Amino acid sequence: MSGPGISAYLILSVILFVTGAVGVLIRRSPLIVLLALEIMLNAGNLALIAFARQHGDGAGQIFALAVMVVAAAEAVVGLGLIVAMSRKKIELDVDTLANLRG
Amino acid sequence: MIAAAWLTLFAPAGAVVAIALAGRRITRRQAGLIASASVGVSFVSSAYALVRLLGEGADERVHPSTLWTWLSAGDFRVGMEIVVDPLSVFMMLVVSGVGFLIVSYAVGYMHDDDEERRYHAYKALFVFSMLLLVQAGDLLLLLAGWGMVGLSSYLLINFWHHRATAVAAGKKAFIINAFGDATFALALFLLIQRTGALDFGTVFSRAPEVIDKSSTVAVLIALGLLGGAAAKSAQVPLHTWLPDAMEGPTPVSALIHAATMVTAGVYLIARTHVLFELAPAVLHLAAVLGGITILAAGLIALVQTDIKRVIAYSTMSQIGYMFVGAGLGAYGVGMFHLMTQAFFKALLFMAAGLVIHALAGEQDIRKMGGLGRELPRTTQAFLAGTLALAGVPPLAGFFSKDAILAHALDAGALGVALFVLAVAGAFLTALYSFRLLFVVFRGKKSAYVQEHLHRERFEGPLAMVWPVAALVVLTIVGGWIQVPGGWTAVDTFLEPVAASLQEPAAWMEVLSPLLSVAVAVAGIALAWKLWGLRSDVPATLRGRFPRAAQALERKLYFDEAYDLAFSRPSSRLALALGRLVEAPLVLGSAGGIARSVRALAGRVAATQTGLLRFYALALAAGLAVLILVFIAVQ
Amino acid sequence: MTGAVLASTAGDVFTWIVWVVAALALLTSGLAVVLFTNPFYSALALVLNLGSLAVLYLLLSAEFVAAAQVLVYAGAVMVMFLFVIAYLGGRADAPWAGGPSVTKLAAIVAGGAILVEVVVAIGLAAGGPLSTAAQIGNAFGSPKEIGRLFLSDHLLAFEVTSIILLVAAVGGVILGAAARRDEKSAADQPKAVEG
Repeated sequence: MSGPGISAYLILSVILFVTGAVGVLIRRSPLIVLLALEIMLNAGNLALIAFARQHGDGAGQIFALAVMVVAAAEAVVGLGLIVAMSRKKIELDVDTLANLRG
Repeated sequence: MIAAAWLTLFAPAGAVVAIALAGRRITRRQAGLIASASVGVSFVSSAYALVRLLGEGADERVHPSTLWTWLSAGDFRVGMEIVVDPLSVFMMLVVSGVGFLIVSYAVGYMHDDDEERRYHAYKALFVFSMLLLVQAGDLLLLLAGWGMVGLSSYLLINFWHHRATAVAAGKKAFIINAFGDATFALALFLLIQRTGALDFGTVFSRAPEVIDKSSTVAVLIALGLLGGAAAKSAQVPLHTWLPDAMEGPTPVSALIHAATMVTAGVYLIARTHVLFELAPAVLHLAAVLGGITILAAGLIALVQTDIKRVIAYSTMSQIGYMFVGAGLGAYGVGMFHLMTQAFFKALLFMAAGLVIHALAGEQDIRKMGGLGRELPRTTQAFLAGTLALAGVPPLAGFFSKDAILAHALDAGALGVALFVLAVAGAFLTALYSFRLLFVVFRGKKSAYVQEHLHRERFEGPLAMVWPVAALVVLTIVGGWIQVPGGWTAVDTFLEPVAASLQEPAAWMEVLSPLLSVAVAVAGIALAWKLWGLRSDVPATLRGRFPRAAQALERKLYFDEAYDLAFSRPSSRLALALGRLVEAPLVLGSAGGIARSVRALAGRVAATQTGLLRFYALALAAGLAVLILVFIAVQ
Repeated sequence: MTGAVLASTAGDVFTWIVWVVAALALLTSGLAVVLFTNPFYSALALVLNLGSLAVLYLLLSAEFVAAAQVLVYAGAVMVMFLFVIAYLGGRADAPWAGGPSVTKLAAIVAGGAILVEVVVAIGLAAGGPLSTAAQIGNAFGSPKEIGRLFLSDHLLAFEVTSIILLVAAVGGVILGAAARRDEKSAADQPKAVEG
């Protein structure tokens, strides 16, 4: 394979993943949290594709496509929730949504 | 013969079960008849066993028989094992014979009691337990019978459970007997450890081999057995329960606290004499306790005012004689006195029962007097019993008491000392028993008697009268089976199982009857002077020695001493423990555990913040740890 | 031969340059998504992120996935995001207000820990299992290959994903309709009081 080896791709994937994770943990607006979530999912996709290339097995790419589908579905539902929240005048701040407190 | 023995044992048990299960479907009288019939069956089969036993040679008369093995651990085996040998058959006859008479008497005595069925069931239970005790072939079964006898005694003492005094008396009897049971059990533990067995054959043959004479173990074992015997037989110092036990109905006092249960201690000593002979000091201690009891009981009986209590103290005193006999090694004559005492003591109690029945429940002799004219036949029965008690020939008591005295003379220095005590005791016995007779039956009718006497045709229902008559006959002739210097049937019969340690010489066998008759006559004469002629010497004496009189009336302060030493400290300890240990530890810990669990849960619940970010952080942290673990494992 | 080597080295160099550029774009846009205050800018940064990912997929011989990424993800999903952000008015977030809290520090620490650990793991494995890539044919990653796999080996995944899409669509409609219903009833309320 020309270019950098699989390890490079994997390291890229990890950095991206951690970036997305920190974003999920730090940001307060649910919208940004969703975006950061998307980054994490894509990082996972990158790792999958890299391993698919390494093993020569197309299953990794199939899995990546499935992840993409799930990410899209999740984005739909999440955005729908956010829109519903804003219509009900609920404040879009993750720190104040604590109904599950027990 | 073995089958007869088992029938003897289980007939009363069957009666208990039948009466209990039948409940109200049988009449009260039928319950009584079932009980007495079962004991009658026991007596007949015991007699049969005796006949068969006599048909064998003297050395072959030991027949153990096991129904099933209850416990088997290594070499140690214990089970439902009875033994048919001279000693057990002797006791079986006494228990079932006298028991039959008394249970039949009770059918009449208790006929107006509402709970009569329960009474008869308990009586049958008692007879079964006592038979179990005497027929047991191993010490564990003996202990089982021992305990059950104590239970039946408790149940029957507080038969009238709505009377607080009766309930207290039952508890007292049970607790003191439980102490004896405990020492008994401890002795058994030592025996198991040393000899590895509890059945008579093995233990008595192995014990002399593995236990040294007068070693600590031997002394401990014998002391444990003696503790049980003394508690059951109401010897000083474990005697305080017997007078209180008179709260039970009179037939109970007759059967349990005169003829059978209280004699179980003597039976035990005779049965385990091998173990006692390994610790002669304890054997002598038994004799000494018996001697002390003879005197103490005799003195206290002089001032008692309840007719049954006087007889109870006389029982204690007579068992003292038996303990002296057994303690000096004269097992055969001790058992002989057991038999005769069963006859005349039961007779005395039953005659007293006739008196109480005629006076509708009154037991205070100060209110009685002049009953001789109203109840002539009762008076005759009572006279027979009293003469036997005092040891006047040719009634039963003379022969047996006398034999003990003769054997005592042959037993060394201790024996002679006890002989003197016993003779003094005989004087006292005559004194207090004739006091009782004169006060109750002589003189003019007292005011109380004039008001309350109610007499039936035969001075009591027929059911009560014929057993008394039978016992009068037995009292008169019962002693004739062993006449000193001539016929020694009892001694010879019991010899293979309990050989006597003494062989009284001829002069002893002449001296003791002379002495005992002399003191008996002296006692009767003094009693006549003091109470027969209604003098006021007793009152004057009481005035001259007030403290002595009071000590005797308070039963030599034993009850007060025990109260101070045991019952008050233990109740205080119980209360203190309740306050200091139970309330905070047990009750408090329940609340404390709940509180701490709740606090812990509260702290754990704090992690459920409801904030998404917090949960995600937890996830990330967990992930970090997991990856670390994964790499480390790799 | 030298020409082939030169060509391959030139190909190598080209690959490397493309890779570096794409990687840089990837990482910076990722940081941008997380750090921007304005959600609109974050969304745009995400689009750039997705694009650079597509380039990396091409380098890994996953042509179909790259195309799908651009068409579906960057093209459709992100557009939907932008619609919603535009609708919500892009409210400012101010994530750094109130100073760094314990949670934020803990988050950064956890993230850093995960990063370090995985890099170490990769480094440990780099010499061995990750050193060689398999030889693949031309058809690897082509639509034909993907289609064949979807309809033979991974048929279940195919069907399940279609159901997921159905569920998402239904969910989106319901959420939107419920929101509209509430709005309508809220709007009707004052009229009822007056009338």
